[in-house]
Amino acid sequence: MPELEVRGLTKRYGGTVAVDDLSFAVEAGKVTGFLGPNGAGKTTTMRALLGLLRPSSGEALVEGRPPAEMADPLRTIGAALEATAFHPGRNGRNHLRTLAVAAGIPGPRVEEVLEMVELTGAADRRVKGYSLGMRQRLALAAALLGEPRILILDEPANGLDPQGMRWLRDLLRAQAGEGRTVLVSSHLLSEVSQTADELVMIRGGRLVAQTSLAEFTAGGGAQVRVRAADLAGMAAALEESGAGVTRDGGEALLVGGLGADQIGELALRRGIALHELAPQRQSLEERFIELMGDEEGAP
Amino acid sequence: MNLLRSEWLKLWTTRTTWVMLGIALLGEGLFAGLYVGLAPLGEIGEIDQVATGTGLLLVMLLVLGVLIATTEFRHGTASSTFLVSPRRYPVLLGKLAAALLVGLLAGAVYVAVNAGLALPLFSGRGGELPATGDLIDVYLGVVVSYALICAFGLGVGAIVRNQVGAIIAAIAFFFVLSPLPELLPGSVGDYFPAQAIGSLHGSSEGDGSLNQIGGGLVFGAWAAGLCALGTLLICRRDLGE
Repeated sequence: MPELEVRGLTKRYGGTVAVDDLSFAVEAGKVTGFLGPNGAGKTTTMRALLGLLRPSSGEALVEGRPPAEMADPLRTIGAALEATAFHPGRNGRNHLRTLAVAAGIPGPRVEEVLEMVELTGAADRRVKGYSLGMRQRLALAAALLGEPRILILDEPANGLDPQGMRWLRDLLRAQAGEGRTVLVSSHLLSEVSQTADELVMIRGGRLVAQTSLAEFTAGGGAQVRVRAADLAGMAAALEESGAGVTRDGGEALLVGGLGADQIGELALRRGIALHELAPQRQSLEERFIELMGDEEGAP
Repeated sequence: MNLLRSEWLKLWTTRTTWVMLGIALLGEGLFAGLYVGLAPLGEIGEIDQVATGTGLLLVMLLVLGVLIATTEFRHGTASSTFLVSPRRYPVLLGKLAAALLVGLLAGAVYVAVNAGLALPLFSGRGGELPATGDLIDVYLGVVVSYALICAFGLGVGAIVRNQVGAIIAAIAFFFVLSPLPELLPGSVGDYFPAQAIGSLHGSSEGDGSLNQIGGGLVFGAWAAGLCALGTLLICRRDLGE
């Protein structure tokens, strides 16, 4: 059973469709990147998984059950939705205490998570004076309070400096390493490409792709660069086999539609010496832009 | 119980509560010291007017009740709160208990100020104090009305959700609209919030047909009805954009 699952999830607001018949599942022990341009429906999907809004149709399930039926919510699922959702006049420690008390979590855990997100020194200051990065970390601390089995984080990297980003990556890797489920959204591939094991990509409220990061990196439109003693003969042989061949400068070929194994065997059969046989990894960013269109990269 | 403790903590970890109740209690102190102490005795009126004070706390607790419901929507903390309790209605019960408690607490402090300052001044200047039993009745009515009006505000806040809108709605409903039916013939007006609070206070101005307990029950029913409707709406509505 997947830890998180949406099945045919649809959410309409008046006439506009925010999420349109979306289905995917998220497994434990992995960091799953939830990618899409702004307005793709990521936040709406996450809110449905947290039971904060009710689907127009379809369902959102946490450990196989609707979120409202969670037995011990804060120990099941921790969420950081927006870095602005604090009372500006309350200090960081008291914000966490209100949540800990409500969930029956003992006081020392508040100090622990403050330490984890490196906010102990600022804990007695009112949130009003926090920077965006500090608010992100306070939101993360709230998510971690109950040592939940599942973490749902909406754009947690916004406002973090490079050290903060690295710290966040390490934290998410460690959480997944302990067998927890981590779903983290972003509109920038580069933010999750060093962290995520799995990718769920949506656009316009619909699923574009769900794949492992490795498959995504290797797959689709991948080409093999070939250099050979007899380049023209090799090109002809490849074309006979139905491969797509383009010249990469004067001395190499870019071959699509055939794997490196098949190309090597073909060369052996034709008695052509190969000088290079190199699968080309298309850059992640290129593939992402291909899938998402040019909205990607908008801040 | 945990949810009540959480709501109680929320109340006292921002300055708003302290400032609002502080101002109101200061106002009652000034009323006792300056007005009861200095105004011509004939203008001060009956003892139950002395004992029920200025009504400043009534306004503050009405607004505080609204804030208990709406602040979480204004600042977006409602999402975190309802994540702890996805069924939502227990949170509203916690808020209701906190509202009633803060009303009782404010009432207790008020009685201490009033009995400690206004009454001695009044009797010291020759005002006639009523029997202790009657005085206790008036004070009980005041304390209960503080608790109930905070719950009343909570109900309006839960229904309206927008903070400014809810404060305006609560004040307009209680102070402007609900006294209007008094103008109608018969006793219809007695069953609206403003007059019901008057009966609950046992005020001599209240020429209504309800006694103290009746007034308390009627006003309590208004508060309960608003809270029930607000809870129902909050359980059904989506949170977030």
